Amino acid sequence: MAATPDVTDAETRLETLVDTANRIRDAIESVIEGKSDVIRLTVTVLLAEGHLLIEDVPGVGKTMLAKALARSIDCPVRRVQFTPDLLPSDITGVSAYNQQTGDFEFKPGPVFANIVVGDEINRASPKTQSALLECMEERQVTVDGETYRLESPFMVIATQNPIEMEGTYALPEAQRDRFTAKIAMGYPEPAAELEMLDVHGASQPLDKLEPVATTAEVRALIEAIRAVYVSQPVKKYAIDIVAATRQSPDLLLGASPRATLHLVRSARAHAALSGRDYVIPDDLQDLAGPVLAHRLLPSMEALGQQRRPEQVIDEVIRRVPVPDVK
Amino acid sequence: MKLPIAAGLATAAVSLTLYPLFEGGSWFWASLGAIIVVTAVGMGASRLSAPPWAAPPVMVVALGLYLTAVFAGDEAWIGFIPTKDSVLLVGELFGSGFDDIQRFAAPVPANEGITLLTAGGVGVMAVLVDLFTVRLRRAALAGLPLLALFTVPAAVLTDPISWPAFMIGAFGYVGLLVADGRERLGKWGRAVFVRRTRTVTADSAPDTGRLALSGRRIGVTAIGLAVLLPALLPNLAPAPLFAFGVGNGLGPGGGNIGIPDAIAELGGELRQEANNTVLTYTSSDDQPRYLRIYSLDVFDGTKWTINPLRGRPEDRVSEGPLPPAPGLGPTVPVKRAETQISISDDIRTLRFLPLPYPATQVDADGDWRADRNSLMVFSTDDEAAGLDYRVATGEPQPTPEQLDLAAPEPDSGGRRYLDLPAGLDPRVAGLAQRVTAGATTRYQQAVKLQEWFTQSGAFTYSLKASGSGGEALSQFILTDRSGYCEQFASAMAVMARMLGIPAKVSIGFTGGTKIGDKWTVRTHDAHAWPELYFAGVGWLRFEPTPGGTAGQGTAQVPQYSLPVTPTASPSPGSSPGASAGPDDTTGDSAPAPRNPREIERDLGNLPIAADPGTPLWVKIAIGVVAAVLVLLIPAVVRLSSRYRRRRVLDKVAFAVPDPVGPDPEADGSDADLIVSGDTSARRKRRAVAAGASEQVAPAVEAAWAELGDTLTDFGMARRPGESPRALGRRVAQTLGTDPGLTASITAITSAEERRRYARSVNGPSPVAADLRQVRRALAAAASKKRRLGATLAPVSTLLRLRALGEKALDGFDRLENIRLVAGRSRNGADDTMGNRTVTVRDGMEDEAGAGRSLTGSRR
Repeated sequence: MAATPDVTDAETRLETLVDTANRIRDAIESVIEGKSDVIRLTVTVLLAEGHLLIEDVPGVGKTMLAKALARSIDCPVRRVQFTPDLLPSDITGVSAYNQQTGDFEFKPGPVFANIVVGDEINRASPKTQSALLECMEERQVTVDGETYRLESPFMVIATQNPIEMEGTYALPEAQRDRFTAKIAMGYPEPAAELEMLDVHGASQPLDKLEPVATTAEVRALIEAIRAVYVSQPVKKYAIDIVAATRQSPDLLLGASPRATLHLVRSARAHAALSGRDYVIPDDLQDLAGPVLAHRLLPSMEALGQQRRPEQVIDEVIRRVPVPDVK
Repeated sequence: MKLPIAAGLATAAVSLTLYPLFEGGSWFWASLGAIIVVTAVGMGASRLSAPPWAAPPVMVVALGLYLTAVFAGDEAWIGFIPTKDSVLLVGELFGSGFDDIQRFAAPVPANEGITLLTAGGVGVMAVLVDLFTVRLRRAALAGLPLLALFTVPAAVLTDPISWPAFMIGAFGYVGLLVADGRERLGKWGRAVFVRRTRTVTADSAPDTGRLALSGRRIGVTAIGLAVLLPALLPNLAPAPLFAFGVGNGLGPGGGNIGIPDAIAELGGELRQEANNTVLTYTSSDDQPRYLRIYSLDVFDGTKWTINPLRGRPEDRVSEGPLPPAPGLGPTVPVKRAETQISISDDIRTLRFLPLPYPATQVDADGDWRADRNSLMVFSTDDEAAGLDYRVATGEPQPTPEQLDLAAPEPDSGGRRYLDLPAGLDPRVAGLAQRVTAGATTRYQQAVKLQEWFTQSGAFTYSLKASGSGGEALSQFILTDRSGYCEQFASAMAVMARMLGIPAKVSIGFTGGTKIGDKWTVRTHDAHAWPELYFAGVGWLRFEPTPGGTAGQGTAQVPQYSLPVTPTASPSPGSSPGASAGPDDTTGDSAPAPRNPREIERDLGNLPIAADPGTPLWVKIAIGVVAAVLVLLIPAVVRLSSRYRRRRVLDKVAFAVPDPVGPDPEADGSDADLIVSGDTSARRKRRAVAAGASEQVAPAVEAAWAELGDTLTDFGMARRPGESPRALGRRVAQTLGTDPGLTASITAITSAEERRRYARSVNGPSPVAADLRQVRRALAAAASKKRRLGATLAPVSTLLRLRALGEKALDGFDRLENIRLVAGRSRNGADDTMGNRTVTVRDGMEDEAGAGRSLTGSRR
C-alpha cells in the first residue's frame, strides 16, 4: 500500500535472489556436510563476481567443494590440475594452424568456462600462474594479439596445500590480491564426518547432484546484487578498516584499494544473501577476515609473536568504531 | 629544554611568589642573577659530564662570587674575588639584613642587607633544586626546596597569596617534571602510549612531545582544580574568591587560633624608645577613654587568646546600632558620649578598631563588623590606617549597691569566662581567697582584689618581667610582685576567675594625653587590663596596674572599682593627662611604643572571620546539601533525557497515521524484526509506529540513544567496534532468553540499523515499552550497588561530562601543538647543522643516529 512499486520490485528480486542462492547452498551442502559457513562464503564470492582461494591440508574436500559448486549451476566447468610443467597455453588455449583453411585457428583453453577449478595452483610455475591471474582480473584472454572475452559469470576456484611446500611456487602477494577471499575448509565435525562415511560409502553424491540454477539466473543474481545499497557511513567504515590494516604496527603490508573494492562488493552479496537490500557493518565484519587476511604481510615482530593476520584483523575490527549517522 | 634550565626556571617561577614580602623589585633581579649563575654552572657541569657530587660545591662557590660581586664589588679584588674586606662587608650586610627582617613586617623595604639575604637564599634553593633534579635525577624531590620557598610568603603573610603567583610557581614545577620526563624518554625511548589515538603512526624517533603534552595536560588540570575547587566550595573559601587558605587560618573551622603575640609583644614594645602617635580623638565630654582593640577571653595556661570571631553581614556597623552590650541590664544608668577618633596613617593593616567600651554605634567607612559577644569591631577587607570614625558609647554607671546586688552566680552568658586550665598553682587560689576575705559579694571581692594589686600587695611596675603564663603568673603573684600591665591584667583576671567572677583581658590603649584640644594616644599608651563581668551590669573595666609616673602613665582607675569607703578620687591612675612619658611607673605595661609595622604583624595573626552569620552546623548542613545536590546533577540530567526520549517515542507512536503491516523479512538468520514473543498489544503499537521515515527516525534515534545510555549505566556499554546488531545479540545473551525481551531489544537495534544504513528507516518502530522492558531486565540482573549507581550516578552522563572536559583540553592541546611542531622542526634544523659543521665529533652524532634508528624503526 504505502510501498512504492519500486520497493515492491526490489523486494521481489531480493526474494528470488535469496531463494536461488539458498538452492545452490542446499545443493552443495548435500555433498559437503556441516560446512555451511564455508559454503555460504563460496556463494557470496560467486555472487560478488570474485574468485576464491581455498587453502587447506589434503583431503578435507577442497576440490569437492569446487566441483559441487560448479555442478549445482548449469554451466560449463573446467578443472585444471596444476603441475610444474603446465604451460600458460595449457590454460588460455593456443592458436593452431588449420591446414584446411590455411589459417591460424584459436583453440580455447580450459579457462573458457564459467567456473574454473585450479587444483593445487601453487604447483605450477609462476609464468603459468600469472597467465591464469591475468584472466581472473581482466576477464579476457589475449593470444597472438587476439583478445577473447570470457563469459560471465566467471569464477576461479583455486586450491592450494599449505603443507608439502617442496617444489611449489607460493603465490606472490600481487597474485593473492586478485582472489576475493581465501578460506580454509577445516576438519569436519565428528557428526558430520560420521554422516559423510555413511553417504560416501554408498555412492558418490556428487554424481547425483543436479544443477539447481542456470547461468542466466546467476547473471541475474549478480545484477541484483549490484543494486544493494551501501550507505556512506558503511563505505567509510570499510575504508577505516582497510586504513587501519595499513597503519597497524603488526603488518608490514596492509590491504590494497582493490581489497576495499572486494570487501564492499562481497559485503553486498553477503547482505543480499541475508535478505537485506542494504549493507550493515556486520557484513563487513564477517567478511573482513576471509577477504583481507590473505593479502596482509605480518611484520617480523608479529611473526615472532605468532600473530596471524586473522588475529590482527580481529583486533582492527574491535578497535575501529562502527559508523553512526548517515 | 635542558634540565638545568628547567630547574632554574622552576626556581625563578616559585621565587616570584615572594613578591608580597618586599617593597620594590630589586630583590628579584638580584635573586634572578643568583639563579642564572647557579644554572650556568649547572649547564657547564652537565656539558662537561662532571660527576654529580662536584656540581653543588662549585655552584655554592659561584654563588658566593656572585654575591660578592654584586654586594661588595668595591671591596673585592677585580670586582668579584673575595677579599677580607669584602667578606666582612658581606657579613655585615647579612647581619643587618637579619636585623631588618626581625624588625620589619612584610612588606619589608628591599635594602641591601635584605636583598643579599634573599638572593643568597634563593640561590641556595636553586642549588638544591639543581642537585635533586639534574644531579640526582629526582625531579619530584626538587619540589621540597621549591615548597620551602613557597611556604615563606604563605606562612608570613596574612593575605593569601594571589592565585596567578601560585599558578606561575606551580607551572614552574610542572615544567620541571615535564622536562625531566622528556629527558628520560629521550634516553630510553617510549615507554607507553600516552595519548588516545585512533590510529597508530610509526614515528621514527621516540616522540617526547606527546608525553610532554600529556604531562602538561595533567599539570594544567591539577593546577586548575587547585585554583578553582577551593573557590567553588563555599566553606573553604575565605573572603577573596581565589585566595588560598594557606597558613592564614581564616576558615570558619579555624577555631582557636589565638593572638599569641599580641600580649607577649606588649612588653617588647613598651621598652622601645620611639613613642609614635597612634591615634587622636576628641570626645563629647572631653574625658579620656580606654580604647579597646582586642578582648581575650580564653586562658589556656600559657597565654590569653581569643575565641573565633563572628562578623555576620547583618552585624555590619553600617547597618545600624551595634548589638547590645552583653549583660547590661535596664536599671543601670548609662552615660552616653560620642568620640571622634582619627587613626594615624602610619599604622598598617590594623583590622580592628580601637573603641571605647561599650560602643553602641560606630560610624566608619568600610565593611566593619561587630562581634556579638565581645563587641570587637573588625574587618576582613578594610584597614584602620588613616580612618576617621565616630563612636557612640553608653558606659554603665552602676552604683555600688547595684553591683553588690549582682547575682552571685554568673548567668549563662558569663559562665565560659570562668574556665581555667588545670595545673595552676593552688597557692594562687588560696591567696585570692585570703586577699578577698571579708568581702560579701562578688563585687566587693573584685574591688578588694584590685586594691590588693594597686595598694596593699606591694606590687611594683617594671618592664623587666615577662610572660603571663601559668608559671610566670604564679611567680609574679607569689614572689616577684613586679611586672607591667600584661602581668597585672592577666593575674587579676585569673584570680577573679578563681573567685568565680567571669573575667577576661582586654588589650588596647589607655586614654592617652591631652595635647591641645585633642587626646593623643601613642605607642607607649598600649595597655592591657582586666574586665570583670557582673550579671545585670555587664563587663566592667578594672585597673590593677599602677598608674602615674611610677606605673602606666595614663592608666586610670574607674570610679566604681574603688572601695566605697575611701574618697572618690581614682587612686593610682592620675589625671587623664598624666605624663605622656614612655614608661613611667610601675603600672601595668602600657603597650609600649610600637613600630607601626609591627602592629600590623601581630594583628596579622588574629582570627578574623568574615562570618556569614550562620552557626557552624547549619553551614555544614548547607554545604552537605549543596554537595549532595551537585552530586545529583548527573542523575537529574539523566532522568530528564530519559523522559525527553520517551516523550519522542510516544509522540511518534501515536502520531504516525498510515500504518504499514509488519514487514515479513526474508532470511530467518537475519530478518528478525518481528520476533515471536512480542505481545500482540505491543505489536499493534509497533505497527502503528511504522511509517514514513522522517517521522520515525527521531523515535528510532531516541530509542537507540536511550538504550545506549541505559546499557552504559548498567556497565554493559557499547564497544566501539560493535554494530547495533552485535550489541543486541550480546545484551540478549547476557539477559537471558525471554522472548519478549529479545523482541524489545531487536526492535530497537534493527530499527537503528535501518536508520543508519538502509535507504529508509521504514519498518516497525520501537516503542517506549521496549525500553522499559530492557531497563527492567537489566536492573533485575544487576547487583544492588549497580542499580543504585545507575540511578544516582549514571555513568553515561558522567562520561558525557568527561567528554566535555576533554574537549576543553583538546583546545588547549591545539595551542600546544602549534608550539610543538615548531619545536620539532627546530630540532631537525639543529641536527643537520650538527652534521654539516661538526665533523670532528662524528662519533657522537653517529651514536645519536644509531639510538634513534634502534628505538624508532618498526619495519
